Amino acid sequence: MAVADTNDRRELLTVNMGPQHPSTHGVLRLELKLDGEVVVHCRPVIGYLHTGIEKTFEAKTYLQGVVLTDRMDYLNPLGNNLAYALSLEKLLQCEIPERATVLRVLLVEMTRIASHLMFIGSMALDLGASSPFLYVWREREKILDFFERMSGVRMMTSFIRPGGLVRDLEPALLESMSTFTDAMPSYIDSYEELLTANPIFKERTEGVGVLSGQDALDLGVSGPTLRAAGVALDLRKSNPYCGYESYDFAVPTGNVGDCYDRYLVRVAEMRESVKICRQALDQLPEGPVRTDDRKVMPPPREELAKSMEAVIHHFKLWTEGIKPPAGEAYVGVESPRGELGFYVVSDGSGRPIRVHERAPSFANLQALPKLTEGGAVADVVACIASLDPIMGESDR
Amino acid sequence: MPITESGLQSTFEAGEVTIPADGIPTVRVPLDDLTRAVDKIRFELDHSRFVDVTAVDRLTPEDRFELVYLFYSLREKTWLRLKTRTDSEAPSITSSVPGANWYEREVFDLFGITFKGHPDLTRIMLPEDWQGHPLRRTVPIGAEPVDFTVTRSAYGSS
Amino acid sequence: MEITPDGKSDGKTGAPGYLLSRLEDWARESSIWPVTFGLACCAIEMMATGASRFDMARFGSELFRASPRQADLMIVAGRVSQKMAPVLREIYDQMPEPKWVIAMGDCASCSGVFNNYALIQGVDKIVPVDVYVPGCPPTPDALLDSLIKLKERVALDSRSARHGAQTTPGVGIARG
Repeated sequence: MAVADTNDRRELLTVNMGPQHPSTHGVLRLELKLDGEVVVHCRPVIGYLHTGIEKTFEAKTYLQGVVLTDRMDYLNPLGNNLAYALSLEKLLQCEIPERATVLRVLLVEMTRIASHLMFIGSMALDLGASSPFLYVWREREKILDFFERMSGVRMMTSFIRPGGLVRDLEPALLESMSTFTDAMPSYIDSYEELLTANPIFKERTEGVGVLSGQDALDLGVSGPTLRAAGVALDLRKSNPYCGYESYDFAVPTGNVGDCYDRYLVRVAEMRESVKICRQALDQLPEGPVRTDDRKVMPPPREELAKSMEAVIHHFKLWTEGIKPPAGEAYVGVESPRGELGFYVVSDGSGRPIRVHERAPSFANLQALPKLTEGGAVADVVACIASLDPIMGESDR
Repeated sequence: MPITESGLQSTFEAGEVTIPADGIPTVRVPLDDLTRAVDKIRFELDHSRFVDVTAVDRLTPEDRFELVYLFYSLREKTWLRLKTRTDSEAPSITSSVPGANWYEREVFDLFGITFKGHPDLTRIMLPEDWQGHPLRRTVPIGAEPVDFTVTRSAYGSS
Repeated sequence: MEITPDGKSDGKTGAPGYLLSRLEDWARESSIWPVTFGLACCAIEMMATGASRFDMARFGSELFRASPRQADLMIVAGRVSQKMAPVLREIYDQMPEPKWVIAMGDCASCSGVFNNYALIQGVDKIVPVDVYVPGCPPTPDALLDSLIKLKERVALDSRSARHGAQTTPGVGIARG
């Protein structure tokens, strides 16, 4: 349906893309104004997955809130758990045992690998290559199997909680993770063999959706998109948390800032994550995985039969919940999409008065008009895929 | 040059400087100084990377909403938080910080704070014709009573 | 000979008619093609069901069609927000009969963890649902189980296997 635009002598065609669309990576709607094949104006409309999670946090205790964090960026559930736990631990001034910290790094990097695998699969599928999707799901299923073995749930594990982890990982599981980590680089080689030098893939992504470093910084873009634009900002290196300063890994950057660079940066990041997993498994110390602070983590069940204090702590934790002192905390972590953080505001009671998620996809999607305007309609799909947005965290 | 509490206090004479639990220096300025404070933070103090804008409903009788801005310095690798209080309006910083566009729309949508000078202040999360601003703490969560058998005598079955 | 829901007979009489009806039912249940309606986290598990480990294609769901006009199953995979509800109803209306709906996951069945202003409390408030799949998200095994249950009912009688079949427009969506 052609709409005559009276401000312009050209006739611009208004096309609506989404919210139900096979390639918009969830419920994203784009209002496109086209001049033939060229996108003249692009206006993203979000909010189709607004779940009111930030309001729901205020009605729940802090521990119940952990469950909500899984469901925001649903391809990075353990990463969300970690960001929330870190903010709360800052408020509570709580010490986490060594073993829990190293296991947290291991789990979060495994989740990063799983998320980037999904990125490769869906980007390839959007651009017409259907085989890589099935290849990456083979490895992703292995990672989801690990999560199921450790927690019982494939995706929304809620395993990383304020105060440590839910329980320890068994030696057999760590053994399997170790074998997987050793085998992974050759799998990444097989995905690269399919896509990286593929002339059709390169034709569709090279020079498409160029974003400069300064534009990216002004728009609040972060993560692989920012690094592909040339800005070497990785919060794991610049503001280390969970002991990341003791791991040896590189931060890949791009120089052009197009879709192909964003793909290459994520593939390189996957290789670095495998290295981090290897180091985490090698330097895993013995010890507990929960803090001793009974105001944060419940006592073990055996203690309940012996100690009255343990019973009282257990009772208070299950009725009132964790009660951090009044204040606020924000810890920025590096999620597969960029800077993620939970701004938790507490008034001293068992329920927060405000929890705000700084979602990387919300800011990244603001860059979409800059990426798509001036390009062809077919390139819009490549641009969205290369930004790797998750509407669950963008709309919250 | 790293930010110190005293250095920050001298840059913002009219502001209050605190360091909360997360170690991020926080400056609170009056609403009229907001735009100047943002420029100072981004250029004088070199925290030019924009991170976040949000609001907290403090439920005080005056100046109920607390606007929270977060910036980051690529050189110092630190965050800096800027706060101000308002009842209903605030100046928009979108002209100098393009990334704040959607963030201000979200605060408008969920809290009802209008940003003067914003290019497109419309609802972003909720449908266009929605009435109300749900994230205000005076607005109930809108939950539906769940049909448990044990509470049927109280709520009846739905 | 069968009486269709709107009271008319389908004109198939006798043994050949019966065989034809059964053939039709068998064809319908063996090739249920879903429309791409992945909304949130459940969509990822739906993709897992389509991938090679669980492989929905061997149950007949060879392809997910992007156009609702070419699909006969809508798997509502994820939470339905207030903004998305009219879109959901429109996609459902655009699907030709006979059509079925699987409410995948807790959010589609009853809004799950999110009992608040932003979500439709269960997608059965706006479209009639044939199978509810519990889980947050349901494992791919659970989704396959729901698909098999749906196929069993479709195989019995594909034309009237509609649970709570509606021919009128859906209920209005309450706004706060």
